[in-house]
Amino acid sequence: MASKQDHADVLIVGAGTAAGVAARHLAEAGFSVVCLEQGEWVDPGDLPGNKPEYELVGGKDWHPDPNIRRRREDYPLDHSESDLPVWMYNGVGGSSVLYGGIWARALPSDFRVRTLDGVADDWPLSYDELLPYYQAVEREMRVSGLAGNPAYPPGFDPPLPPAPIHRTGQVMAEGMNKLGWHWWPGTNSLPTLNREGSREGQCVRYGVCRMGCPEGAKSSTDVTHLRDAVERGVQVITRARVARVTLDDSGRANGAIYLRDGAEHFQSASLVIMAAGGIGTPRLLLMSTSERFPNGLANSSGLVGKRLMLHPYGVAVGLYDDDLENWLGPAGEHIGSMQFYESDASRGFVRGAKWSLLPIAGPLEAAEKWTHPLSLAGEQMWGDGSADRMKSFVRMLQWHVIPEDLPEETNYVSLHPTLTDSDGLPAAKVNYRVSENTRKIVDFNLARALEAHDAAGATKSWIAGRNFMTGHNTGTAKMGNDPATSVVDRFGRTHDVPNLYIIDASVFTTSTGVNPTATICALAKRTATHIASNAGKLEVAS
Amino acid sequence: MTDLDLSTELGDASRARLAALADVLIPGGSGLPSASAADVAGQWINRALAANTDLAPAVREVLAVAGAPAEALAEVRRRDHVLFEAFALAVSGAYFMNPAVRNALGYPGIAPRRMPAAEGEAEYYLEDDILTPVLDRGHIYRSVPN
Repeated sequence: MASKQDHADVLIVGAGTAAGVAARHLAEAGFSVVCLEQGEWVDPGDLPGNKPEYELVGGKDWHPDPNIRRRREDYPLDHSESDLPVWMYNGVGGSSVLYGGIWARALPSDFRVRTLDGVADDWPLSYDELLPYYQAVEREMRVSGLAGNPAYPPGFDPPLPPAPIHRTGQVMAEGMNKLGWHWWPGTNSLPTLNREGSREGQCVRYGVCRMGCPEGAKSSTDVTHLRDAVERGVQVITRARVARVTLDDSGRANGAIYLRDGAEHFQSASLVIMAAGGIGTPRLLLMSTSERFPNGLANSSGLVGKRLMLHPYGVAVGLYDDDLENWLGPAGEHIGSMQFYESDASRGFVRGAKWSLLPIAGPLEAAEKWTHPLSLAGEQMWGDGSADRMKSFVRMLQWHVIPEDLPEETNYVSLHPTLTDSDGLPAAKVNYRVSENTRKIVDFNLARALEAHDAAGATKSWIAGRNFMTGHNTGTAKMGNDPATSVVDRFGRTHDVPNLYIIDASVFTTSTGVNPTATICALAKRTATHIASNAGKLEVAS
Repeated sequence: MTDLDLSTELGDASRARLAALADVLIPGGSGLPSASAADVAGQWINRALAANTDLAPAVREVLAVAGAPAEALAEVRRRDHVLFEAFALAVSGAYFMNPAVRNALGYPGIAPRRMPAAEGEAEYYLEDDILTPVLDRGHIYRSVPN
């Protein structure tokens, strides 16, 4: 029999990116909050980025693919029917522990793709409605960048000054200027200034953001939110693997059963928020079947797990004459470009892509530009001539091209029929194929990125691979106004269960073509604000 | 499957074989040492395999392939590209950990290190009106109907 924990006003399933934002906000508003997190707190001293083995450890124990990490808390993922694996980090801070820290708001057009381009669906909210929440979380996440980016409406003014674009950005910027193409200094959730009393350090440009920051100077929510939240009374229960969300007799969510160290527990709550990520949240909803919801909790639309979007990105690299010190952080982007972000019908596809000029963390990452199975380098990395190729590592620039991935119900997450996690719960199965439109976006943009390298003076350039995984797992619990065609409403409340909310990237109506963390945080802030502001009027468990 | 601690199992003969195979991948030149000269088959492979325990089976399997080193590796590459790349990752990961190699490639220190931006550095790179052409073109975002 499950042991019973103290009742909470709000139970948050997960303690990741969105959970951190919501937990701290709700605690500050006076709610008692419990987060159930299957992983652990991260000790920055354990992170590999400042150790000689950093790239090898980053390719195993700190790899963003849970099937490679294979920690106790990493539930297996079957991606045998997916064009690419799925990445995530399971632990306090969630995938913000391993993200690059690139901070990009979605564009106004992202919320109106049906209206503008006749595809997918409009979001049930607009850029302007989300704007105050973007601004709020940009302060909380200590975003650095330069105000005035003409790719955005006026008002995108990062609270901290930009990091240097470095020689890498300078060389590429001159090339982009020759072409008359947009570029802008990088906007990153990487603080460029110290703040007295802050838990977070100042970026010291290790350039290893995607392995976690050993300086604690990247805005992951374990650093920016959850430690403060704990001081405000939030209880983060680690090693707690949720098995299912429970309902009371009237069909309201009243808590969750979870497994911890081999024992079953029950956490009761008046209101439940799902924040387990674009794979974890649909997995748990599909596991939470009942007589009332035989096909999964909050799944009357049949869309829980459907419409998975992954942002399969491509990389174009160039070699230059000079040592560009391309290993210097932040990583994070040095510069970005939105030149080909908005739709242009003449290109033969809809929507577009964001470009990020990123540093290259070390020699193994550089070597991958030749060794990736889809690299078009035209020569082998190893063997005769390898020394010359190695000597070019620090003379390399890379553009990452992130395409907007449109939703399709044939791309989905489901429960695996036989594979289980270490607690015997069903693993997730991912079915995902790169769509023709996404492929065209990537092809077009990689071709333009090669032109950018040429304009910037590259002596050789090539496509170093495509179908790279981003960890941008979106769309599996769609936000919309119509309960028949969406899972949650415009405030993240499920249509089917009036006190069950979802705040992670599952709710994205479309993927947008930008890194999702800014929008994840803004939506979480908006939902938490809605809950706090309407506390007396919301339906809760009996 | 139990992780293999191959680094403690490699005897002199295996290390000599590993050095010969590694030299096929990394023969050196242009101021860089060969894999064997960089002691890849000594302390560095030990550290590489300890850092990524998934690589030990690949090293073990390739070491078991008979024949001249170049032909043996060519056969592995033809037969099992994933195995070849895992072996190459172990060897190159070991090689790049050698501080002399890292230094010769232009990377600072034995690992990434703190290099905070200097005062005025961000502004320095934006001098000479480098952003002016971008600003002169004006807004490029697409307007949406209310």
